[in-house]
Amino acid sequence: MNIRESELPGIGYKFEIITKNQDKLVIVIHDDGRREIYHFDAADYEEVVSNVTLNDEEARQIAGILGGMSYKPKALETVDFAFDDIIIEWYQVEPNAPAVNQTIGELDIRNNYSVTVIAIKKKNEKKTNYPGPDTVIETGDTLVVSGERHQIKNLINRLLCGKG
Amino acid sequence: MNHLVLEVGTALVLVAVGSIIANKLKFSIIPFLIVLGMIVGPHAPSFGIIDLTFIESDEIIHFLGRIGVLFLLFYLGLEFSVGKLMKSGKNIVVGGSIYVAINFVLGLAYGFLTGMEWMEILIIAGLVSVSSSAIVAKVLVDLKRTANPETELILGIILFDDIFLALFLTTMSGILLAGSTSVLGIITSVLISVGYMLLFFIIARKGAPLLNKWLNIKSDEIFIIVIFAILFFVAGFSETLHVAEAIGALLLGLVFSETEHRDRIEHLVVPFRDFFGAVFFFSFGLSIDPSTLVDAIWLALGAAAITIIGNFVAGLISGRRAGLSHKASTNIGLTIMARGEFSIIVANLGITAGLNSILTPFTALYVLILAIAGPLLTKESKPIYKFLNKIFKWSMEREKKKIEVPGN
Repeated sequence: MNIRESELPGIGYKFEIITKNQDKLVIVIHDDGRREIYHFDAADYEEVVSNVTLNDEEARQIAGILGGMSYKPKALETVDFAFDDIIIEWYQVEPNAPAVNQTIGELDIRNNYSVTVIAIKKKNEKKTNYPGPDTVIETGDTLVVSGERHQIKNLINRLLCGKG
Repeated sequence: MNHLVLEVGTALVLVAVGSIIANKLKFSIIPFLIVLGMIVGPHAPSFGIIDLTFIESDEIIHFLGRIGVLFLLFYLGLEFSVGKLMKSGKNIVVGGSIYVAINFVLGLAYGFLTGMEWMEILIIAGLVSVSSSAIVAKVLVDLKRTANPETELILGIILFDDIFLALFLTTMSGILLAGSTSVLGIITSVLISVGYMLLFFIIARKGAPLLNKWLNIKSDEIFIIVIFAILFFVAGFSETLHVAEAIGALLLGLVFSETEHRDRIEHLVVPFRDFFGAVFFFSFGLSIDPSTLVDAIWLALGAAAITIIGNFVAGLISGRRAGLSHKASTNIGLTIMARGEFSIIVANLGITAGLNSILTPFTALYVLILAIAGPLLTKESKPIYKFLNKIFKWSMEREKKKIEVPGN
């Protein structure tokens, strides 16, 4: 997935997304809080097929639904085993995330976040590696982590998602 | 004088009704308010206590309009950021330069061919070069074009155009308000206004930390009083240096745009800009005697025609240079041809300086035509593109692209 961001002076912010299936999606966040989603023709990236306008509240709810907060698709159920409060989650490291180019040991994830990195899938390799303290985290790596839900969320927010 | 508030109230009711109609028809309010202002005025009837001539209240409406110009330009200054322009990249700088150059040169040529005096030629060239940021942004949002690939370039060109406007107005006000006809006198006064502008630039750069501290006022009430006091005082003071008050407001906005308080000021100023701006468009219409429109109609039509062509060509060149398709490039020219508030402000500068009075009806008609035709043409950009495509045979490229994609 390829995401391009740009500012629209006087209007807001624009995110252009090309998915793996070569679908083009554009999300415009207006300064007044409105969100717009545009779906473009896959054969002609300049032709809008449809669009939806959402207010702030709707946008947040839909973001939650898309993010799997309310219902996790069956296909992913194997990914997320619940052991009482402990869950396992997969997360792909975003560009510019604070954790990029640091080792797991340096970050001391287990002590600082009470989360264990149980596997790491390097971006360009099919195989999943068992990580040690020396494993370097890079953009695009998928980390498999286990811990309590809020701790995982905390880890993702602090270290794994890109900041601007 | 007893009915002064009622008269202003009547004017505001008209402004409100005009704005509601414009909104219903999904148009910018600018052309509607100008027309409304033209319809009423000294030649209009008065019904009992409802006086549509606005003779008594002319002065106060005019003054409210003047405040509108201050707010419009103050806001422009706030929005305008050199840093933003630097970041915007080569395409926008190149596209913007092409756009301004083509339109300005066409404007000069047009003024020259129609036998205007030098000052009038410059004003005409200026007012045909400045696109209406308000209308363009509105059209993009209304037509749901914000997601299109050409949108960044359109908004970038507008940003560039605004900067041109600021420079042009400053220089022009130096020339016009100097009241001098000798070359030396003109050069001196231009230097004064450019120097004045540089002074503000330096204050904006160096003074930001100090301003940040001084303006760190918790209460919104006090904050707005302080900001408006500075705005009116600086604007008025500029006038004494032969720099138009509007330029003073613009430059002050520029200084504030460098401070941390920019967003807060913007937020507070927007309602005032909208309200007083609307009164300004109305008062501009009010200053026009409809019988003078006839003299200006051909002049305005001609100027509108060259603007349409000039914008279209400039849009196409900038778009293609930035690597956009012919279709997206067509949209650029069609979208940015809308003219509105800034053209009127340029003309207003000339009129205040006592230039040829034909400028008023000319600008009114010119803005009316393009404030309405611009958005309409933008809306119909698809058929226009298809039609042009038949003539210029651009479609080959698009066909190829269409075949390529499924292969991916």
